[in-house]
Amino acid sequence: MTSPATSTRTSRGPGFALGRFLSNNGALAGLVVLAVALSILSPSFLSTRNLLNVGVQAAVVAVLAFGVTFVIVAGGIDLSVGSVAALSGMVGAWLATTAGLPGVVALLLGLATGAAAGLVNGLLVSFGRLPAFIATLAMLSIARGLTLVVSQGSPVATPDVISALGANLGPYLPVPLLVMLLFFVIASVVLNRTYTGRAMYAIGGNEEAARLSGINVRGQQLAIYALSGLFAAVAGMLLAGRLSSAGPQAANGYELDAIAAVVIGGASLSGGVGRASGTLIGALVLAVLRNGLNLLGVSPFWQQVVIGVVIALAVLLDTLRRRGR
Amino acid sequence: MTELPAEQRRGPGGDAGAGQAAGELLRVEGITKRFTGALALDGVDFQVRAGEVHVLLGENGAGKSTLVKVLAGVHNPDRGTVHVDGKPVRITSPQHARALGIAVIYQELTLVPELTVAENLFLGRQPRRFGLVDKARVRRDSVALLERVGLRVDPATPVKQLGIAQQQMVEIARALDLNARVLVLDEPTAVLTDTETERLLTIMGELRDQGVGLVFITHHLEEIRRIADRITVLRDGRSVGVLPAGSSVEAMIELMVGRAIEDQYPRRAGEPGEVLLSIDGLTRKGVFSDVSLRVRAGEVVGIAGLVGAGRTEVVRAAFGVDHYDSGTVTVAGERLPGGDVRAAMRAGLGLVPEDRKGQGLVLSSSVGENLGLVTMRAATRAGFVDRAGQRRRAEEMAAALRVKTSGLNQTVRELSGGNQQKLVIGKWLLADPKVLVLDEPTRGVDVGAKVEIYELVNRMTASGRGVLLVSSDLPEVIGMSDRVVVMAHGRVAGELSTEGLTQDQVMALAVQEPQQQAAEREQPQQQAAGD
Amino acid sequence: MKLNRRAAFAALSATTLALAAACGSAGSGDGGGSSSGGLTIGLALSTLDNPFFVQLKEGAEEQAKAMGVTLNVQDARDDATNQVNQVQTFTTQNVNAIIINPVDSDQATPAAKAAETASIPVVSVDRVINNAKVASEVASDNVDGGSLAAVQLGKVTSGGVVQLQGTVGASASKDRGEGFAQGLNIAGNINVIDKQSADFNRARGLDVMTNLLQAHPDLKGVFAENDEMALGAIQALGDRAGKDVMVVGFDATPEGLTAVEQGKMAATIAQQPKEMGKKAVEQAVKAAKGEQVQQVIDVEVKVVTKENVAEFK
Repeated sequence: MTSPATSTRTSRGPGFALGRFLSNNGALAGLVVLAVALSILSPSFLSTRNLLNVGVQAAVVAVLAFGVTFVIVAGGIDLSVGSVAALSGMVGAWLATTAGLPGVVALLLGLATGAAAGLVNGLLVSFGRLPAFIATLAMLSIARGLTLVVSQGSPVATPDVISALGANLGPYLPVPLLVMLLFFVIASVVLNRTYTGRAMYAIGGNEEAARLSGINVRGQQLAIYALSGLFAAVAGMLLAGRLSSAGPQAANGYELDAIAAVVIGGASLSGGVGRASGTLIGALVLAVLRNGLNLLGVSPFWQQVVIGVVIALAVLLDTLRRRGR
Repeated sequence: MTELPAEQRRGPGGDAGAGQAAGELLRVEGITKRFTGALALDGVDFQVRAGEVHVLLGENGAGKSTLVKVLAGVHNPDRGTVHVDGKPVRITSPQHARALGIAVIYQELTLVPELTVAENLFLGRQPRRFGLVDKARVRRDSVALLERVGLRVDPATPVKQLGIAQQQMVEIARALDLNARVLVLDEPTAVLTDTETERLLTIMGELRDQGVGLVFITHHLEEIRRIADRITVLRDGRSVGVLPAGSSVEAMIELMVGRAIEDQYPRRAGEPGEVLLSIDGLTRKGVFSDVSLRVRAGEVVGIAGLVGAGRTEVVRAAFGVDHYDSGTVTVAGERLPGGDVRAAMRAGLGLVPEDRKGQGLVLSSSVGENLGLVTMRAATRAGFVDRAGQRRRAEEMAAALRVKTSGLNQTVRELSGGNQQKLVIGKWLLADPKVLVLDEPTRGVDVGAKVEIYELVNRMTASGRGVLLVSSDLPEVIGMSDRVVVMAHGRVAGELSTEGLTQDQVMALAVQEPQQQAAEREQPQQQAAGD
Repeated sequence: MKLNRRAAFAALSATTLALAAACGSAGSGDGGGSSSGGLTIGLALSTLDNPFFVQLKEGAEEQAKAMGVTLNVQDARDDATNQVNQVQTFTTQNVNAIIINPVDSDQATPAAKAAETASIPVVSVDRVINNAKVASEVASDNVDGGSLAAVQLGKVTSGGVVQLQGTVGASASKDRGEGFAQGLNIAGNINVIDKQSADFNRARGLDVMTNLLQAHPDLKGVFAENDEMALGAIQALGDRAGKDVMVVGFDATPEGLTAVEQGKMAATIAQQPKEMGKKAVEQAVKAAKGEQVQQVIDVEVKVVTKENVAEFK
């Protein structure tokens, strides 16, 4: 099957290897281009301090997006994560500050709230046979409404244990960054090594083939949406922690950022394809962009335009790369 | 070029350029196409004349699909020339190919199921009058077009209500209306029943008489014997020979595989042991009723019958994919609960479904991932999959099955049909079921891979497993089974030993009417030894 | 099967409605025995996402309870179309007066016209309604407040300051920004070195301020167009807030007032939303009874600093 006539193209320099690596990782290439451009345009961009800030600002969306990655890989969609994050943060803050529970207990109950909301999504999708779009759209509204009910419309202060999630460890190390990296590792392990993770790819790639191979599709869907809810709850705690306050409008619209991050990271909305590393890069692209636009003092009117263009370009780049194969 | 066909009576657009061999529509010379790492086509030569059926024959992965895609303008060749009507051309896109008069009918049809036949025929180019679609004319033109491919359906019928064979005809009719002079049919008969295939071959003969040049890809050597005017055989990306009409099956196989295949159906039967699978009185209202059969250790039991006889439905129900109303399924003495795939698996049953892309494989996942799908649960401890072990086992299985792949990480979508089918069987072999149900295991699979699959069946039965083989391919079901259960109208019409069995005897049972069945049951059929 | 499903759906709908009714009655005032008894006032709020409007609602509810009228509150969630629909619903419910807190001064016009057609008096609160007949306008001046903020910022610091803008295009952001620009001339000693939007949102305020600190490490002050963003900015500034960077907010929310008390926020602008809610209900009841109403009621805008913060808590 090999022809000796065409082996002339094999000698390549190290620059080519880097180029090929980047072209195989469209989102990463986009991130690098963005970072290089910004470090030229703004002297403050490349400082350690600013890069740490970018990491912190990416954290909430990244953790949300890891959860959404599970769902999208499994061929579904989760629109409720922003609202579930707000609800979980609010429950955690309210239980501690208003109901007087110990902070750690409140935190755990807040996380449980998120997982429970996800579980309800899973039930609606697997046993209720609702389209994921509709089930999670309903949850988006329900969770946001419950947040308002619990908070009575006003922000609630968080207990110390939640606030610590938004603070620094030592003088420089931001906890949100660490939490993001921790959950990146967890998401990678879940996707690559666990039964549920591998089942996500099978279900998202071909639900019928997964079923005929003995995978309990419904049971796994419950787990997948519950995981997404749990990750949303963690993101909600991070967000509340950073502000030392759980707001009724927290994380409003974040589901779209999370989905954008997942898609920028190379996942397919039709399921079966996606990686945690891609999602992390996607979240960083969005954070770098917002940070850079602030640093450059771009008019707020234009910022939204630029963000939209970059999302479209990032995904376009990836699509073109795939088609080129 | 002496055996020129009778010049076309009304060749559509038959303005054959002067100066070349009369009637030659398409000539391909020295086409080479390389994909990352692999040489798909290596200097292929190929010609199509007006009014001939030119068969492209080769094993999966031999380069047929790549050649078709070059003709269709999907792939750009690295080297070589394409001549249309004697003029060199560079086909840049599918639209360009169509404009040149080359139409390709793929296995996956490109009709819009929700629209009517007429709407599909004129999709995107409806005749208009006063800015509105001229419905009357659409209808008139549709009827005329359908007439040309011998399809008698109301043009107002939604396409989704048509059978797959009729849909193919609609697609062919659409291509003809676009003045296609070269019609490429990529394995059209793989999804058709025998009668439907018969119809298609007749229509192909008629189109040939109208002066169309047909390029026909099929794995059914008997079809080739019936219709081919010339056969170009591809092997490993090269054209290894052109055979004339009337060549023997053996000659075709030898050229295609590169060696002679002694026996197309190398079944080695042993002494059957205990009963492993027992289906008793299985009934699902309106689909099948009172179906009973047994599979013993070391035995291959075939299920034959016409399409719609309920064969696939019975095995799906037995495996727990679909529900049934009454009856029992017992595997190695354990009665299955019904409607529970995992329980069936635990008891030792496996199913290779008929639709490998729709039900058998996760096309977006890798070779290794697909091979490990069934055994993943067993390889999981505390929620974590033993991926190293899964990988090792997949590696061994891929090697044992001789799957042609660049590695375990290759996406399954990129593999040829035969290799894909090996993976579906392989994932079940890894689970080592007591009884494996194979539903149309060799559909769309080339001769070489077929024999390999049959050898897998032999190996299973030799190690004391049982196989239930559902197949529409009569020579296969007779050649590879020890007994054949024939189904008709959702019932078992009879059970035959394959010793000296002919296709006619099977067909006689398969076409039985329900009343006849009842009468026949009074006087039992020739019984198989085992029951 | 089909019938069953229909029955189940009907049962579900009934339950939902009952639930909604129960929730609704919990929120509204229970008509007392005073002379205003029996009147129903509709209050169409722009949003409840912002504590400012939550306080406005609380003030209105208190006043309604005191006067013994029923108050029906609707939240348009910052969507002008929602608001028009809600006001139309009020008119079909035959409420006696409608208080509109417009999502947008121009886009609320159809809502006010709908009420006018039904001969129901309208009171606008916080924002005016353009091109419509209203019985009374209860407002506090956002432009004036912005100007006061600039003057106050000039008193506590001098040099380069940054401005955190609200949602792009929102009227409160436009008015406060305009006032701030006017106030800069009066103050004379401060200048705006950067302007960025943080959507009136605390988390965005934190992120945007963090980024701006990278670009302008030596800034002296911050004007945030609401307290939520100011609180986010204070979080970003950490120890610098109140020491070498002065933050002035807007709205005087409870958390904002606490920050002023602690010295982290130099000042906030109090619009007294509770007072606005009370006044609006008072005017609406008068209008409903056909009594004389005051055309324009200006609820005073006040600068809240550490010295006078106790008055506002």
